[in-house]
Amino acid sequence: MESLSLLMEGFAGALTPMNLLWVVVGCLLGTAVGVMPGLGSSMAVALLLPMTFALEPTAAFIMFAGVYFGGLFGDSTMAILMNTPGQASAIASTFEGHRMAKDGRAPQALATAALGAFLGGFSAAVVVVFLAPSLADFAATFGFAEYFALAVFAFVATSSIVGDSVVKGVSALVVGLGIATIGMDPISATERGTLGVPELFDGVSLVTVTVAVLALGEVFHIASRVRRDPKTVAMKAGGRAWLSRAEFREAGPAWARGTAIGLPFGIIPVGGSEVPTFMAYDLERRIDRKRPRPMFGKGAIRGLAAPEAAGNATTGTAMGALLALGLPVSATAAIMLAAFQQYGLQPGPLLFDRAPDLVWSLLASFFVALVVLLIINLPFAQLWAKLLLIPAPYLYGGITVFCGLGVYALSAAQFDLYLLLLIGVVGFVMRRYDVPLAPLMIGIVLGPLAESSLREALLSSDGDYTVLVSSWITWLLYGILALVLVVTVRAKLRARRGADV
Amino acid sequence: MTDAGFWHGRSGLVVPALLAAFTTYLLVGVQTMDVPEGTDFPGPRFFPLILIVLGYLLSALLVLHYLRHPEPVDTGDQDGGQWRTFSDWRAVAWCVGGFLVFALTIELLGWILAAAVLFWCVARGIGSTRPLFDASLALFVASVVYLAFAQGLGLNLPAGILGGF
Repeated sequence: MESLSLLMEGFAGALTPMNLLWVVVGCLLGTAVGVMPGLGSSMAVALLLPMTFALEPTAAFIMFAGVYFGGLFGDSTMAILMNTPGQASAIASTFEGHRMAKDGRAPQALATAALGAFLGGFSAAVVVVFLAPSLADFAATFGFAEYFALAVFAFVATSSIVGDSVVKGVSALVVGLGIATIGMDPISATERGTLGVPELFDGVSLVTVTVAVLALGEVFHIASRVRRDPKTVAMKAGGRAWLSRAEFREAGPAWARGTAIGLPFGIIPVGGSEVPTFMAYDLERRIDRKRPRPMFGKGAIRGLAAPEAAGNATTGTAMGALLALGLPVSATAAIMLAAFQQYGLQPGPLLFDRAPDLVWSLLASFFVALVVLLIINLPFAQLWAKLLLIPAPYLYGGITVFCGLGVYALSAAQFDLYLLLLIGVVGFVMRRYDVPLAPLMIGIVLGPLAESSLREALLSSDGDYTVLVSSWITWLLYGILALVLVVTVRAKLRARRGADV
Repeated sequence: MTDAGFWHGRSGLVVPALLAAFTTYLLVGVQTMDVPEGTDFPGPRFFPLILIVLGYLLSALLVLHYLRHPEPVDTGDQDGGQWRTFSDWRAVAWCVGGFLVFALTIELLGWILAAAVLFWCVARGIGSTRPLFDASLALFVASVVYLAFAQGLGLNLPAGILGGF
């Protein structure tokens, strides 16, 4: 197997002492940020994005992999102990997980979540290692029309599936796409939407938007509610942090089912792992209802195991889609894409040829990161909860300072700080009125690709629009998109009819 | 809530207002654009024009949405102490103002002082009541960051007036 030998070389690259250090640092940082109430892995990656200017690419991405997965582990720890999911993908884990903790089974819940996340992530990493190269070869045959279809797929799926209102989702997308058009038009070299401001000639930096929307806007949002939201208190989690044989047998099938649901969603851009975690939770609940003694609502171990496995499986294959197709399926993946672009690397089919050692070291570091995370989370989950002792004013004060640091260090321009503040306020308004943020991120990251492939396709066909649907790949992509939309609409209608959680 | 005015629960109209403002910005950009002679269709105006049409359309839809479904307005006595749609504007003003001061003064005061001011303002906005302790902590954090990132990793942070000594 060619993939295996390449992966072994990847391990050789990832296991150097220095890179190993970055994995561990990334895992610790990611878990720490994930554990903080209200902070999720996307904020962790956004705040660390400016670090990329001080590190070489391989080290930076290896650290990001640790942060990314670590954030998910931390999110679920908090979902279980405090009922406060840091990211939408951890919401499904709060239902049964927090109930287990209330029943005094917090250590078992934490162990179930950590093992589930590990298994899901590990299976995803295996799938990515074997399928990503073929996916990249397949994607190498894509032309402009296919790339445009791919971008449309991501736009429609992220803006309409997650969140309650399609209009709000598409509005966020339009703002993202609009921001992406500011600056020099790459095809005709025309200046666009700069109003003659020289700082805007190169466009609005992705780092500025990311930090503003995901970090600074979040701080403003938390400030606006900090005295109003009821105080949440973490549950104490003492006792044995291991599962009995019976518990293992109970959770095992749920882990497997969750992983199976989560894997394909890494490639389907529906805005991250929120959808698969809820699907996995829902499936377990239905199976549970048919059993002689339904456990759901009383702290069912399966109701926690499945979404945890699904969430990390999706996250893992999403990284594969990002590497092989250059397609970010969630806000966090969009930030990773931004990081690649900072180094002048373009994820996609060519990356496997141009920077194979980077790709394979990154893939190998997924495995390393998952093992490290299992080690630092399984026995020590309770210790992480101690981070909650940092008083909120200093935590958010520190985060704000880091927002300023990252953006200023990148450009050394005050103008970027004003822009950061402006977009941060917009991010706050969006949060305040429940406008989803992921479409904006996807829009700004994929906007240039969508625009240039659309225009190139039309230029090559002399303005004939049928070129956009001229190949079977475009048919396939639009077909899957239609299918996904139909399924979502049905699921939403069904959810409206009643839930018994 | 019969005596509540029109704007009660309709502050969400700020969302379509922002979207319309941004769309207008794009429109001005398209109109002032210098497109070189002989640019083939679709030129640099093509994509922004699609966005402009969409932007105005969505603004109108959002206005309709907020007119028809105003948010529930929180009153003083909520059961269970839940405030679903409340914003503490004073806290937000401390954070935004602190950041504005930071952005305006970073080159004049230098990283350490400007970042300390930022930290102090945000901490105060989020509810700290110990201004003196906060100030020393803020200076400490800003200095540590400066040492780690400017001296350690070689990032470009201004020394400002402190650099003169």
